[in-house]
Amino acid sequence: MNQGAEGGAAPAIASIRQGFERSGYICNDHIATSIFLAERLQKPLLVEGPPGVGKTELAKATAELVGKPLIRLQCYEGLDESKALYEWKYGKQLLYTQVLKEKLGDLMQGAQGLKESISRLHDFDDTFFSEEFLEPRPLLKALWQPGGAVLLIDELDKSDDEFEAFLLEILSDYQISIPELGTIKARTPPIVFLTSNNTREIGDALKRRCLHLYIPFPDTELEQRIIRARVPEVEARLRTQLVAFVQGLRSLDLKKLPAVSETIDWARTLVLLHARELDADLVRRTLNVLLKFQDDIDNVDAEINALTTKALASVE
Amino acid sequence: MTEVLGDFIRALRAADVRVSTSESIDAGNVVDLVGFGSREVLRDGLSHVLAKSEDEKQAFRETFDKFFAFDQFKSREQGEAEERDEESDGEGEEGGDPSGQQGQSGGMPGPGGGGREGEPAGDAASLQDLVAMLESGDQAALQMALAEAARQAQLNRIRLFTQRGMYVRRMMEIMGLNGLQDEIERREGEGNQAGADGLRGLRDQLRADVRDYVEKQLEIFTANSGRQLREEVLSQVRLGNIDARDMKIMRELVAKMAKRLVALHSRRRKVDRRGHLDVRRTIRANVEFDGLMFHTIWKQKKIDRPKVMAICDVSGSVAQVARFLLMFLYSMQEVLPRVRSFAFSGQLGETTKMFESERKIEEAITKALREHGGGSTDYGQAFLDLERLALDDIDHRTTVLILGDARSNYGDPRGDILKKIHARARRVIWLNPEPRSMWNSGDSEMRRLQPYCDTAKTCASLKDLERVVSELLRHAA
Repeated sequence: MNQGAEGGAAPAIASIRQGFERSGYICNDHIATSIFLAERLQKPLLVEGPPGVGKTELAKATAELVGKPLIRLQCYEGLDESKALYEWKYGKQLLYTQVLKEKLGDLMQGAQGLKESISRLHDFDDTFFSEEFLEPRPLLKALWQPGGAVLLIDELDKSDDEFEAFLLEILSDYQISIPELGTIKARTPPIVFLTSNNTREIGDALKRRCLHLYIPFPDTELEQRIIRARVPEVEARLRTQLVAFVQGLRSLDLKKLPAVSETIDWARTLVLLHARELDADLVRRTLNVLLKFQDDIDNVDAEINALTTKALASVE
Repeated sequence: MTEVLGDFIRALRAADVRVSTSESIDAGNVVDLVGFGSREVLRDGLSHVLAKSEDEKQAFRETFDKFFAFDQFKSREQGEAEERDEESDGEGEEGGDPSGQQGQSGGMPGPGGGGREGEPAGDAASLQDLVAMLESGDQAALQMALAEAARQAQLNRIRLFTQRGMYVRRMMEIMGLNGLQDEIERREGEGNQAGADGLRGLRDQLRADVRDYVEKQLEIFTANSGRQLREEVLSQVRLGNIDARDMKIMRELVAKMAKRLVALHSRRRKVDRRGHLDVRRTIRANVEFDGLMFHTIWKQKKIDRPKVMAICDVSGSVAQVARFLLMFLYSMQEVLPRVRSFAFSGQLGETTKMFESERKIEEAITKALREHGGGSTDYGQAFLDLERLALDDIDHRTTVLILGDARSNYGDPRGDILKKIHARARRVIWLNPEPRSMWNSGDSEMRRLQPYCDTAKTCASLKDLERVVSELLRHAA
């Protein structure tokens, strides 16, 4: 993507970051560096972090930046090859055999004995297992995509470990083996993103093949920039306050801490309510946008006044 | 791969970051790609390749900052410190780059041929250099000379703090100490007392700097070995004999163990039971092929995570061990979703809710001990309470885990209730902190209770506990 930036890594990384910013994805150099490396080293990038910090968004932004299509594979328990990689078009194959049966008479005409018939059958073009009957699923699609693609394997931790093992071949060599056809290599190696919410530990073998990026909750400054880019309608004063409030909220012991996506939602909510400034009452009414567990809401209730005061003070 | 990078990876391994060979190669590629131009970019880049979990990232950051600290000589000249640091950052590493090939070091302005093959260098060139460097205060050159000396002295092999003196001396010699001494004496001989004293002061300063450097390196390369040793020992020592001051390490150890066990066993496993065709689903799946059975679907058996009910004796007789058992119970409940925990001395109470709501493990344990501990043990009452509280929940998927010494103060241990539990539960496991030879002595009622346990084992150290629980989870899965 940065053909002109051969000179050094730092300018290339900065230009990735700026490219992201133009498409509305605000990140720091740490994240931009990972994208730079993933592209240059042609290695998949395993992105971990709490839910809602923009892991999937990162893949989308990258696809937009490099101008390649995004192919997404959502993982779930029980996901297998036929859904992730390829499937044979059974129906079409069935029709093919029927056509073949009709043609068989013509083909065998004048054949002397069984031997000749069989040898004629062998000469006949065998297309039963050919690419025409192959139904590509996301992984194969990504390998086949002319000009390359961005492949997003989302929430890998939700899949079974068999599937993880099955990914190894694709991730290390960008190729897959289909027994009937042989090995299929990527036309252009795709940029691969894997995301995980850490509901289970990803295997070492897979980790070894990937670059690893951990995206934590953003700091105040970065979060402000994100809100500015995503919800430009929010006034600067309110933005500072609401980010300060969310940051304060994250320091509490909660079941599920509010992530960036929740902050964005909350900012939008406050805009809808024509709020100009935070106050304890407003916070209490809209808290369910930020916190998704009743327990958490109950626990925070006592802290709301203190947190709001602190958030208001942060503007000065 | 550069030698510096190799050392850095070794330092990372010492800090508990697992780095495989292929990752080292990747790290080499990253360095080739991003170069040494910017400290941040290098750190970010390497962290993506070498540290692959949140904990490892943290350790990586600390090690990186310590390892690539090029501020040895900064203290004396704070002025341009910042710029210089940047410079020596880049240069210092390239200085280490030639991976053992002495020929390359000619390119450096520093010690040049000084101390080839690690001999104390007395040749004129290096002497001039060291004196000149010290007198002109050339920080960057000194820093490089230091790094080079460290390389030649093989400082990266330092393991014990008693080796410090030896390494300091060796590095000083490589940097040209002998020549420096000669120069001092020569100046004294010439009557240049001021010059000699000045140089002597600089020499002592250099010695202090080298010592600092060696100490930092020692810390980097041996960061964790002391703790690792301690953990190893602690995991084998009898639970009752562990000091209070080791509680913190113990707690981490227990948490680590519980997490490991769960990672190993908690996955839902699906077993294909070949031979049983799921007719309904097969027909449905093959409708599109005109009912031809192209795609067969077999009945699958899902095996769920085990249900565990853990009962922990917290009375006076096992007071020493109780803390650890509770600690383990707490950690297990944190990682396994379906654990119910109970504690008792006289009466039995459920601690599941309390463990769930209490976020700090110490407080949870103290609370459990306060609420349920202290009394004299009565296994009969405890089993009676358990029957009342939870017997209905014990089914063929439940594993009942009892942690205690079976000393019931000569009261009836109510083996009949345990028998009932045993009949309903999948497994009953008894873990006794006392060695087997002590069972059945005095008021120990193991004899009357053991028949109703599938397994009764001694569980004295953390290692035992891990083994037993691992086995438990494997069977249950």
